[in-house]
Amino acid sequence: MLNFEDVEERDGVRLSWNVWPSSRIEANRTVVPIAALYTPLKQRDDLPPVLYEPVTCKSTSCRAVLNPYCQIDIRGKLWICPFCLTRNAFPPHYKDISNTNLPAELLPKYTTIEYTLSRPAQVPPIFLFVVDTCLDVEDLKALRDAIVVSLSLLPPYALVGLVTFGTMAQVHEIGYAECSKSYVFRGGKEYTPKQIQDMLGLSAQNRAAPRPGQPMPPQSFGAARFLMPVQQIEFQLTGILEALTRDPWPVASDKRPLRCTGVALSVAVGLLETTFPNTGGRIMLFAGGAATEGPGMVVSNELKEPIRSHHDIDRDSVKHFKRATKFYEGLAKRASNNGHAIDLFAGCLDQVGLLEMKSLPNSTNGVIVLSDSFATSIFKQSFLRVFNKDEQGNLQMGFNATFDVQTTKEMKVSGLIGHAISGGKKSACVGETEIGVGQTSAWKLNTISPRTSEAVYFEVVTPAGQPLQAGARGLIQFITHYQHSTGQMRLRVTTIARNFAEAGSPSVAASFDQEAAAVLMARIAVFKAEIDDSPDVLRWLDRMLIRLCQKFADYRKEDPTSFRLTDNFSIYPQFMFHLRRSQFLQVFNNSPDETAFYRHILNEEDVNNSLIMIQPTLMSYGLDSSPQPVLLDSVSIKPDVVLLLDTFFHILIFHGETIALWRKAGYHEQEDHENLKELLEIPVIDAQDLLADRFPIPRYIVTDQGGSQARFLLSKLNPSTTHLSATMYGSSPSAGAGQAIFTDDVSLQVFMEHLKRLAVGAQTN
Amino acid sequence: QPGGAPYYGQQAEPDYINHPPYQQQPAYGQPPSGGGVGALTDQFGQMGVGGTKPFQIYTTNLLTSPPDPRDLEVPPPEIRLPAGAALSQSPYSNSHYSYQRSTVNALPNSGSLVSKAKIPLGLVITPYRSVKEGEEPVPVVTDQVIARCRRCRTYINPYVSFIDGGSRWRCCMCSMTNEVPQLFDWDQARNQPGDRWARAELNHAVVEFVAPTEYMVRPPQPAVYVFLIDVSHTAVQSGMVATATRTILENLDRIPNGDERTKVALVAYDTSLYFFSIPPGTTESSMLVMSDIDDVFLPKPTDLLINLNESRAGLESLLGRLNDMFQENHTIGSALGPALQAGFKLMAPIGGKIIVLSSSLPSVGGGSLKNREDPKVLGTPKESNLLQAASPFYKSFAIECSRAQVTVDMFLFSAAYQDVATLAGLPHYTSGQTYFYPAFNAARSEDAVKFAHEFGEVLAMPIMLEAVMRVRASRGLRMSSFHGNFFVRSTDLLAMPEVPTDTSYAIEIVIEETITAPFVVLQTAVLHTTCFGERRIRVITTALPITSNLSEVFASADQVAIATLLANKAVERSITHKLEDARDAVLNRLIEILQAYKTSMTAAGAGASAQLTVSDNLKMLPVLVLGLLKNVGIRQSAQIPPDLRAYAQALLTSLPSQQLIPYIHPNFYSLHNMPPEAGTVGEHGIILPPPLPLTSERLERHGLFLIEDGQTIFLYVGRDAVPQLIIDVFNLPNYDVLRGGKTTLPLLDNPFSQRVNAIVQKTREMRRGVYYPHLYIVKEDGEPPLRLWALSGLIQDRTDVLPSYQQFINQLKDKVNGSGY
Ligand SMILES: [Zn+2]
Ligand SMILES: [Zn+2]
Repeated sequence: MLNFEDVEERDGVRLSWNVWPSSRIEANRTVVPIAALYTPLKQRDDLPPVLYEPVTCKSTSCRAVLNPYCQIDIRGKLWICPFCLTRNAFPPHYKDISNTNLPAELLPKYTTIEYTLSRPAQVPPIFLFVVDTCLDVEDLKALRDAIVVSLSLLPPYALVGLVTFGTMAQVHEIGYAECSKSYVFRGGKEYTPKQIQDMLGLSAQNRAAPRPGQPMPPQSFGAARFLMPVQQIEFQLTGILEALTRDPWPVASDKRPLRCTGVALSVAVGLLETTFPNTGGRIMLFAGGAATEGPGMVVSNELKEPIRSHHDIDRDSVKHFKRATKFYEGLAKRASNNGHAIDLFAGCLDQVGLLEMKSLPNSTNGVIVLSDSFATSIFKQSFLRVFNKDEQGNLQMGFNATFDVQTTKEMKVSGLIGHAISGGKKSACVGETEIGVGQTSAWKLNTISPRTSEAVYFEVVTPAGQPLQAGARGLIQFITHYQHSTGQMRLRVTTIARNFAEAGSPSVAASFDQEAAAVLMARIAVFKAEIDDSPDVLRWLDRMLIRLCQKFADYRKEDPTSFRLTDNFSIYPQFMFHLRRSQFLQVFNNSPDETAFYRHILNEEDVNNSLIMIQPTLMSYGLDSSPQPVLLDSVSIKPDVVLLLDTFFHILIFHGETIALWRKAGYHEQEDHENLKELLEIPVIDAQDLLADRFPIPRYIVTDQGGSQARFLLSKLNPSTTHLSATMYGSSPSAGAGQAIFTDDVSLQVFMEHLKRLAVGAQTN
Repeated sequence: QPGGAPYYGQQAEPDYINHPPYQQQPAYGQPPSGGGVGALTDQFGQMGVGGTKPFQIYTTNLLTSPPDPRDLEVPPPEIRLPAGAALSQSPYSNSHYSYQRSTVNALPNSGSLVSKAKIPLGLVITPYRSVKEGEEPVPVVTDQVIARCRRCRTYINPYVSFIDGGSRWRCCMCSMTNEVPQLFDWDQARNQPGDRWARAELNHAVVEFVAPTEYMVRPPQPAVYVFLIDVSHTAVQSGMVATATRTILENLDRIPNGDERTKVALVAYDTSLYFFSIPPGTTESSMLVMSDIDDVFLPKPTDLLINLNESRAGLESLLGRLNDMFQENHTIGSALGPALQAGFKLMAPIGGKIIVLSSSLPSVGGGSLKNREDPKVLGTPKESNLLQAASPFYKSFAIECSRAQVTVDMFLFSAAYQDVATLAGLPHYTSGQTYFYPAFNAARSEDAVKFAHEFGEVLAMPIMLEAVMRVRASRGLRMSSFHGNFFVRSTDLLAMPEVPTDTSYAIEIVIEETITAPFVVLQTAVLHTTCFGERRIRVITTALPITSNLSEVFASADQVAIATLLANKAVERSITHKLEDARDAVLNRLIEILQAYKTSMTAAGAGASAQLTVSDNLKMLPVLVLGLLKNVGIRQSAQIPPDLRAYAQALLTSLPSQQLIPYIHPNFYSLHNMPPEAGTVGEHGIILPPPLPLTSERLERHGLFLIEDGQTIFLYVGRDAVPQLIIDVFNLPNYDVLRGGKTTLPLLDNPFSQRVNAIVQKTREMRRGVYYPHLYIVKEDGEPPLRLWALSGLIQDRTDVLPSYQQFINQLKDKVNGSGY
């Protein structure tokens, strides 16, 4: 049996099923589709990139890459492409290969391999900062400082540029030596790309730019005026940033400041698409509030008009929502078509219109960081983490990435759910069923990081009854092409092979990765929720769960008590229970912006992190017991313990009543109560560990039982004891041990009872 | 030779010895009152102190008395009011003609008498002529006690009468009885009873009142200057930008800023707009580029329009660098219209002055213009189309400016067609001024010096802001049409966002009913805000006797005022009709006057006459009209570029008489044989040589001559000029190496050089106004265009299709006698 996590370590991939049904019909019966959660840039310290070009299949419709699963003919110097069955000759320089002298890509350990292509990127990576100036003084200063620090984290040859906005948008000609100079765009006006190009004095010919590390040729016009190597311009750009002041236009007390986020972004997108199309770059938007002016306006500048809520959107009563969403979708499309990513950093207590703007990071794989202000450490640390570097000192960030999937003929690609747009590649691998972004076997990811994880869904197309050879297997090849921050072009290739099971074989069930499956199903549910009403999605999730249990559980018909799930299915219903209750599908406790944010993060993380989001982890610390994971259940709340909750987005330390009392009394500072001191300290240290490589930085909360912030914990717990427990059933066995939670939600126990009954076909009451 | 003054020529004696003796008088254009006793007595005479004397009429036969330029130096016929007309015996109780002059100084009592005399009735007003050192300033009434007629709103003046023991006054215009204001006889400064008879408004016809708040719709505005500087490739390469910024920099202290409220903004433009933000107290500025010229907006609410004092350091630093910033600019084209809109938006809430510096035809955005210069059209009836605005943008923008108290000055520099006719419309309707430096090239120091001087003078000019002007007159008189730079807001209210100094306005008057009063009063009031933030009213009152006697009408006629009025009317007609119509109208008017004179004033009556007669005081009118007909502004020609014509027309309608007369009738001096005192300092400053009649008969092949029209000075050098003259004046060995063209005259260590330089300097300084004429050397056998240009000033010569003075006079005689009529 495969160890899923070992496979993940090696290939960055987790599959819902690791043995595949051999026909379309059988595959449909397995309910959860065959799918992979793949992390293309999964860090592999043991995998230095090879310094040569890959050998590819000569079939122009295939171009699959030579891999360990290929059949090779050493004597004939031939290899057979497993995807299209074309016989390919090895290239001349492979003439010396033998069974003992094989190139790396043919060795079994190199199912994942990274090539360094000989032609480097023509343009260094570009960072265009788009900075909101409708901020109060402290916030603006904090933001300025953070951006200045980020300059020192960029490769010296990276090109940087600056757009600022408020009532109007300004593109700074950072290379201008005489004084600070910027091009001003009216905030209330929609500019065409051609207008932007003309107004900035850019002509299509002026695209010359140096290779990474080489100086920019002096140019008095063209892109070089706006985007310059950071090593050359750092001093001047720092000066410009430090001189940035609050948007000078007066704001009446009954108004919001005019903030033309849409125009600023369209100018930024226009600048990059004109000057550096189809090359790596990212636009980093820093928004201190919602757009109130011009195209992309989210809310009017009248304070009496509140910003939209989920209810407003539900009732279809939001004035600007559709138009703004459409506007940003248009920008997102232009940016992603050119390989450019757009990041959103929000520093505002209120919403900034992320819901409307979400297509920008979602289509371009940009990051989203939500914080209450740019002066918070959530913003500062998260922002700087974008620039994390590897051991060689290179940014852990790829640019202008594309992602291709190849399958052998028994399988087709249904689609991808993650931050990408369709590459429009209608290859032979494209299936009929569509899940997520389908009708293609290639996607554009634009930017890519070691965290980027894409869910790819497949279907089996072999008709039933068509006999399979014994030991038949299917292959999937993931090909990720990207611009490394050094300017090299890289190609990461992962090829996986899985066996097809004969009809009725138990091996399919045994190969179920319930964790991966839960995450892959969660992505589908969220994808559907973005389009459908959530009740429909919940019903769909329930139906799928019941069908899965009907297929894979052991039970006697109509006898719920006989219901049993094998280990590798046993916690799947629990994941689904928490997913149903999660912020991804239950939106009304959150703002539309938060919902967009949570969903964005879910769509970029790997299995483990996604599971934390779906079903948070809870650790309990007691004086007499060693720290242990406990049930995410109200019974886990006890007066004499400290709890550490990790929801991925929040990290919460919760002091039980007694502990809180002792702490307030200062016992932990007394010499003979060192164990209490320790009890208070250990969760904090553990929390720091959790924070260490999390992105974005979670909100860190320390609270006491009964404290107002404790709601963050209570909302996540299974309500096995609710305020209704006592009245309906009298004292429950666990009463007194746990804490009643004020909710109408069903508990996991009730949920499971229902599930069992439905799965076994018993009557429900 | 006494004093060793050199002379050049073959004659033993200087030429001037043969001239009839005459008294040295100031040349036309010299300040009429140098502050000396003579000037004062001159004014006394004009004010008619001592009661009415009948006008004596002297008839001149124009055929036998050629024009003598010195006649233009004589003041207009005096105003002889009936005894006791004025309350005051002050010599200032009637307005001096430099402020306000009438075409006749005895007004016909009826319309029929006017139509008999044919002399156009009108006022030429220069409400803010500059006051030079030593001149009497206009008295200011500061106690805010302003007595005005309840009915006709006339300001109290020396021609009202007090009744009822002085407690009431009778309006001199409408006879309304008005209460004397309570504090009229109270000396507020000393807080004690005052002497009514000492009040300035009862003794001075030109007076200024400090206005109380009733005269304000808002607190007085600060002075605001917005510079729109063309920084296109053309502009930078011509050196205009460098010269302009240096001039502003050097004149920052001269910009009116007595109240320290003056604001300044600077917008550069090519096909984009470049705003500059200068926060107070910094030396830093930031440039905000706006390329969205179809939809002009302000990029910032603050720091674009800056307080001259608070942001002085930043402004200086910017002005010092602006030319460098655009040194490499390769953009060609001009978004003048959008720049104007931007400038307007910057200052619209306040008002003030936009100063445009433009080196090319506006090519993009609102107000862009096409090159419509078409040589085929010149000299044809269609030529006047080129003098009309090509785009409605400038007029409608001007009206918007006028409403917002914004005035526009245009400084135009293009070497190619710039459509001055259209652009000048903006200053025209906003009471600004157009300045034209065709083919400006600062590499020629003369160009830089001229522009820098004139621009500097404009910057230093103590302008009046947010003004309205209205002329009130006694019953029976009506102001019928208005000429000059302003916008007529309601029938007779002239809106002037700015009143520049030394600018003239001409107003035509009709007599609507027979006037029985012995005299009438015309009163011009200009309500304005001074550039130091005070609301004031300047009141100019002219009283004129009424006559039923045609002879008196003729004898009192002011030929200079008539010529000024005719120039204004001619330009207007050339735009609304055709150039030819304009010339015909001027000529016919002259013929009608001469006919009327012959018919009514001479024995010849309606019959033919061998003479061509006119009263002595009008004997220069024919040559002035000839000069007008030959002026670039309306001359019959197929050679005059429309831009030059349009600029000349702008001058013809705004120059005060003091500058207008030389502009149509230049001064011509012979220098090589000038009298010994010429070019030396006399009692009234540098003594000019006697002006010569404007005929080339006076040119001598060995001579050195000066011809100047207030805009340009020509030093004409005869081809046989002796080497010594060339050495003395030009520091060159001989005539052959002398080059024609724009020049700076060297100041050499010899008396003749010093005297010639003194005359050139005097010519440049003697008139009020900002103009600094270029000096050209013209060689007798030099480049024909330059020679023709210089000699076109000798208007008594025949040139091309235009008659000589003698031919003109003969034609006039024939026409007056009825032939061909
Ligand atoms: Zn192939
Ligand atoms: Zn009256």
